[in-house]
Amino acid sequence: MKTVSRRTVLKAAAGGALAASTRLAAPALAQGAGRTLRFVPQANLANFDPIWTTQYVVRNASALVWDMLYGVDDKLTPQRQMVEAEEVSSDGLTWTFRLRPGLKWHDGEPVLAKDAVASLARWCVRDSMGQMIVAIQNELTAVDDRTFRWVLKKPYPKMLFALAKSATPSAFMMPERIAKTDPFKQITEYVGSGPMKFVQSDWVPGAKAAFEKFADYVPRQEPASWLAGGKVMLLDRVEWVIMPDPGTASAALQNGEVDWWENPISDLVPVLKANRNVAVDIADPLGNIGSFRMNHLYPPFNDVRARRAVLMAMSQEDYMRAIVGDDDKLWKPLPGYFTPGTSLYTEEGGEILKGPRNLDAAKRLVAESGYSGEPVSCIVAQDQPITKAQGDVTADLLKRMGFNVDFVATDWGTVGARRAIKTPPGQGGWHMFHTWHAGSDCINPAPQIQLRANGDKAWYGWPKSDAVEAEINNWFDAKNLDEEKAVIRRLNKAALDFVVYAPTGFFLGYQAWRKNVSGIVKGPLPFFWNVNKASA
Amino acid sequence: MLAYVIRRVLATIPVMAVVALFVFSLLYIAPGDPAAVIAGDQATPADVERIRQSLGLDRPFLVQFGDWVWNIAHANLGTSMFTGIPVTKMIAQRIEPTLSLMAVTLVFAISVAVPLGVVAAWRAGSLLDRAIMAFAVFGFSVPVFVVGYLLAYVFALELEWLPVQGYTPISEGLWPWFENLILPAIALGCVYIALIARITRAAMLEVLAQDYIRTARAKGLGQSGILFIHALKNASVPIVTVIGIGIALLIGGAVVTESVFVIPGLGRLTIDAILRRDYPVIQGVVVLFSFVYVLVNLLVDLVYTFLDPRIRY
Repeated sequence: MKTVSRRTVLKAAAGGALAASTRLAAPALAQGAGRTLRFVPQANLANFDPIWTTQYVVRNASALVWDMLYGVDDKLTPQRQMVEAEEVSSDGLTWTFRLRPGLKWHDGEPVLAKDAVASLARWCVRDSMGQMIVAIQNELTAVDDRTFRWVLKKPYPKMLFALAKSATPSAFMMPERIAKTDPFKQITEYVGSGPMKFVQSDWVPGAKAAFEKFADYVPRQEPASWLAGGKVMLLDRVEWVIMPDPGTASAALQNGEVDWWENPISDLVPVLKANRNVAVDIADPLGNIGSFRMNHLYPPFNDVRARRAVLMAMSQEDYMRAIVGDDDKLWKPLPGYFTPGTSLYTEEGGEILKGPRNLDAAKRLVAESGYSGEPVSCIVAQDQPITKAQGDVTADLLKRMGFNVDFVATDWGTVGARRAIKTPPGQGGWHMFHTWHAGSDCINPAPQIQLRANGDKAWYGWPKSDAVEAEINNWFDAKNLDEEKAVIRRLNKAALDFVVYAPTGFFLGYQAWRKNVSGIVKGPLPFFWNVNKASA
Repeated sequence: MLAYVIRRVLATIPVMAVVALFVFSLLYIAPGDPAAVIAGDQATPADVERIRQSLGLDRPFLVQFGDWVWNIAHANLGTSMFTGIPVTKMIAQRIEPTLSLMAVTLVFAISVAVPLGVVAAWRAGSLLDRAIMAFAVFGFSVPVFVVGYLLAYVFALELEWLPVQGYTPISEGLWPWFENLILPAIALGCVYIALIARITRAAMLEVLAQDYIRTARAKGLGQSGILFIHALKNASVPIVTVIGIGIALLIGGAVVTESVFVIPGLGRLTIDAILRRDYPVIQGVVVLFSFVYVLVNLLVDLVYTFLDPRIRY
């Protein structure tokens, strides 16, 4: 039996009275409310160009609007999506791709090979794998309306993974006129060929974004699996409601004002689990990897002994409990750099992070490194719960190790700027900052720019290790999984020996939704296809 | 009077110029980099640098400031670095919820606070007076977000009378609009009620001690007539002053209230812009708030002349 809440009765009474006395009568429900799903994303959709920015929230929304040539499935295997078939020459130098027939842009125009060529050209400028392909590219051209060809100077075995990966920036396809935008400037027109259209007129950055079903979208016949398979939209409209306050998001979900919350904080999960109308489950089985980076350019962390001392003394359990609390299902130790549960996972060289922590040995190693008591600038973003939790643990650890800690409590915007400064820590630079990486970006070396150790061109901290770089290059050239596994074992050991950065552990997060919503799956991003919503 | 108004309006120009220079300089020297936020965590330092250049952030301070002032002089507040949307459009998108929240809060706060202050003065020293003043201290002391959470828990989650969050434009119906504003207005209004009630009480105590009130009582006028017609009017100048000053409180409080109740207003726009270092938006909103504040002060000064005929400019 359908229950009527007190609020409904009151609304009816009050609404009736007001409607009778004013000309502004309230509509019964928002348009198509029965097929409208209200979703609370992890962050604000402040812009909408998945090539211009690498923010996950933009990638997640883009997956609704822009389709991809290939998509990874839940086995992390690239599958055809917009592509009907591909052919690679026997020498591995020429790739020929044929698009599926009947693909249309949201403005009704057909999807053509020249659109794919322009989209790939823009993506290549911003993506590390794309840059590698361009470096060995002879030509990328449209052959006819549905066929394009990529001719290389040397084989690139990871081609399909590059085109299918969910790591940002993903290779989303756009009409040629839009894809010709400078990759360092954002697009202003949001026309895709994905299963939903972006309703630009309803977009209020910081508050709301809306997507409507694209009637002409032709899903693949295969069952949907993450970014692959049939993206069948059962909803007419998806509204993203930006809620910066977790307490409010929790209350709104319990009250039925929103249907799906992407990332409830662990403190509120017990409350949500206690609500009979709300389901709670792990959001992404690939989880996240916590980390802090040390500046390899300046003492004390320009000496590998100081970096190894930190690994020797740190307790990953301390970090993980600070992030996820007491829920043991949500974390595990990670003596390495690759996502647990995936085919390339290894603990080779990870002994330094295992077993009882040895503070005395770590102190001796710090002394050997020549540390003389200079302040160690630890910059910690307080507005990100994950970085704040890790920063507090690190500050305590460093003090116990005898470091003179200069704890800089600031916000993420400041960390983002300061970490790019290469001057000495006393002159505006830094020694340490904290962050975390999506597990889906750590399944292999390709999306892991944080693992690169190519000095000035490396990610913040600028590590330089020829051994690490050599193994990364070996992985790109590996021809099969066994070769890849062997390379990754060596890479993990080399990177830990050199301490490219410090992994603080592997952790999972929850998602929560109303029980009248069905079809929600676990994955690296929220997938809206095959999600349905029954009347409450 | 007209000359005075023109003089005051013209005087806002140098005030706004100083505010503009101050805001721009402060943002320029403040740490943070919008390019790094835009690029995201997966971007390389080289990508961040390219984005910084494309945004023009690598240009000298005076060039950037000159550009901004030139644009403002042409009624152009610039374009958001993040959304690519003109700042004026973003403000226009957000102004209705904030104005609605402030209007409902003002009406609610004044209609509760002034009678409370009058009654407290009338019964000065009594238990009722102490209770009202205790409430005023409570209103001052408890942060807006705490009151907000409590209200949402009781009236939305437990009683299911009102929604937890959101905003419905007034064009979609009066009740949906009002329904979303009740809890935020109460939460935001608490501190305002406390402020106005205390000032009303103090002003009324002073007026009630004057000779003409004794004369009115001697003439046999009723208590309510004395309090609300004769005394309140003469006590109203400081009350109006504090209401004007309180607009600044409302602007500050709206930032928190809009976050707690997910109201897409200017307060949230400001916070989002600050966290992202979206300079054009921060500058635009702060200049707007400053202008509103100057304007409110002017209006308060003008209202004085209606409340007290002895005041002339």
